[in-house]
Amino acid sequence: MRAGPSQEEVRRLNLGTLLRHLHTGGPVSRAVLADRMGLNRSTILALVSELTAAGLVREELPRDTGRAGRPSLVVRPDPRIYVLAFDVGVDQVAAARVGLGGAVLDRRETTYPRIGIRPEEAAAVLTGHAKEMTAAAPADAVCAGAGAAVRGMVRHPDGLVRSAPNTGWTDEDFGRDLAGRLGLGLPVLLDNESNLGALAEHVRGAGQGLEDLIYLHGDIGIGGGVIAGGRLLRGHNGYGGEVGHLLVNPRGGRPCGCGSRGCLEAEAGQGALLEAAGRVPDTTGRQAVRSVVEAADRGDVAARAALHTVAEWLAVGVSSLVNLYNPAAVVFGGTLRDIYLGAAAQIRSLINTRTLAASREEVRFRVCRLGDDTVLAGAAELAFGRLFADPLGHRGP
Amino acid sequence: MTATPTLELRGVDKSFGPVQVLHDVGFRAHAGEVTALVGDNGAGKSTLVKCIGGIHPFDSGDYLFEGRPVQVHSPREAAALGVEIVYQDLALCDNLDIVQNMFLGRERRSGLILDEATMEEMAAETLAGLSVRTVTSVRQRVSSLSGGQRQTVAIAKAVLWNSKLVVLDEPTAALGVAQTAQVLELVRRLADNGLTVVLISHNLNDVFAVSDRIAVLHLGRTAAQVRTGDVTHAQVVELITAGRSGDLGPATTNGATT
Repeated sequence: MRAGPSQEEVRRLNLGTLLRHLHTGGPVSRAVLADRMGLNRSTILALVSELTAAGLVREELPRDTGRAGRPSLVVRPDPRIYVLAFDVGVDQVAAARVGLGGAVLDRRETTYPRIGIRPEEAAAVLTGHAKEMTAAAPADAVCAGAGAAVRGMVRHPDGLVRSAPNTGWTDEDFGRDLAGRLGLGLPVLLDNESNLGALAEHVRGAGQGLEDLIYLHGDIGIGGGVIAGGRLLRGHNGYGGEVGHLLVNPRGGRPCGCGSRGCLEAEAGQGALLEAAGRVPDTTGRQAVRSVVEAADRGDVAARAALHTVAEWLAVGVSSLVNLYNPAAVVFGGTLRDIYLGAAAQIRSLINTRTLAASREEVRFRVCRLGDDTVLAGAAELAFGRLFADPLGHRGP
Repeated sequence: MTATPTLELRGVDKSFGPVQVLHDVGFRAHAGEVTALVGDNGAGKSTLVKCIGGIHPFDSGDYLFEGRPVQVHSPREAAALGVEIVYQDLALCDNLDIVQNMFLGRERRSGLILDEATMEEMAAETLAGLSVRTVTSVRQRVSSLSGGQRQTVAIAKAVLWNSKLVVLDEPTAALGVAQTAQVLELVRRLADNGLTVVLISHNLNDVFAVSDRIAVLHLGRTAAQVRTGDVTHAQVVELITAGRSGDLGPATTNGATT
């Protein structure tokens, strides 16, 4: 049993909260900050001065208010502060430089013709992208952290990638490897792609302002991130929310990469869709999924049948999730965005008949607002999280 | 939902000469929601929209806007209330640029000359507020835009005027899959930003993708007004084609069930 937080801890928490408000809400005046944070104005003034001295925020005159009278200063995130965000897909890696405030300042990606990137290879390519982007950044820009999304089960809190069936990784300390190569003196924080997608959509996407939401990310597999009561549901070791392995068709279902049968990802994932549509087995990726949805829209019978089959299994999975978690929103991202928009009538009809009436009453179905950058944005949020935890002490040597 | 609907129509009748097009139609649309208006060809959807927009006067019936009974006799009066309609043909001028189109007939002036700078800024702000990233410059001519971009401009034009109710007539009818997705996301965002949106569509997939409520017209009558979360695709199809489905459909009242 410990005593209440020390004054130092309270101050750190307040600094972090203030910075987070600016990061998610954009530039505002000190008066508005005081109102939002429920602190008095002199405390806000002290916090802002500390953050200004640390080079994290700036106080400036607003560009134009259109109103009479002396405009009040607005506090805005310092544009020099940025983080590096990485996304390691199964056939694509992407890196971005994201500014405090959430703007993507620079972005690079490399696509591979095959599935299964080795960790060393991914780390090397991403390091190359990162070095290019930091070289292109203004000379006074400051990197405040780095975060990466991987397609696999990531142990919390140390970020060890325990297994990634679709890329064949096992027990890879990818974060440490990447951090070593980057040589920034900063750790690279790691999490699962759909957890990060959920975080991004929660902070600045379709789930903004919602405390309970489920993000479903379609890729080669299906991943899920569950936010309950405003917090990411991680489970005991960080492997929680593996929605892709929700068992939907245990009797005679399709074999899944995890060794089981009839998992949601086996029935409603990319493989199932492309196989049912009769596409060549080695075509993968977003474009392949989009081409099936497009063909279905034009009336291609095989594509329509395939889309319907997959949509039905997806609806079965989502119905269970709605019953289990009573979310305020279910957000479809990655290739599931295309599948949802292409088969919404079917998916929602099934959900409407298979969920508890009270659970579905207020649930919203949305597609990700950040588009193909959802996961990268989540990786950036993860990296910023470290800055917000200790705004003044975040910097490495 | 207990809140007052932004728009409520009660017992609307409309005839063109001997042809009765709308018969005792009831309709409600709430703020922050997308209300889909569906029905077969000739069910009276377009007529109802033109009545909402003030192009046709009702023969009888009540028009309640934010709970207050109002009289709407012209599109200008509708616009003054905050009602904007995006028609199927979009009514954009190909030879003008995006800003000129958005302000057409309602140009901002500073003194005797047009205030181009303010208009340009407002247009850019509106497009940015809708997270429209597909348009590169607001000074692009509309003739150079794709179908989806045109639809986006037409919708932005409707939103520019602090409108409260936006009616979209078949916004995805002539678009490909990717553009349809963009427009649907835009439609959803309008409602999530607090506007009242009425979406007319023949495509039930689009309706289920974005709507919160569905109103079905059948032969000039309201067949049902239901929450999208309470019905299936098959039920809506049945309502559109047969005018009723199981418990849903006109019984003694005008069909408003929620």
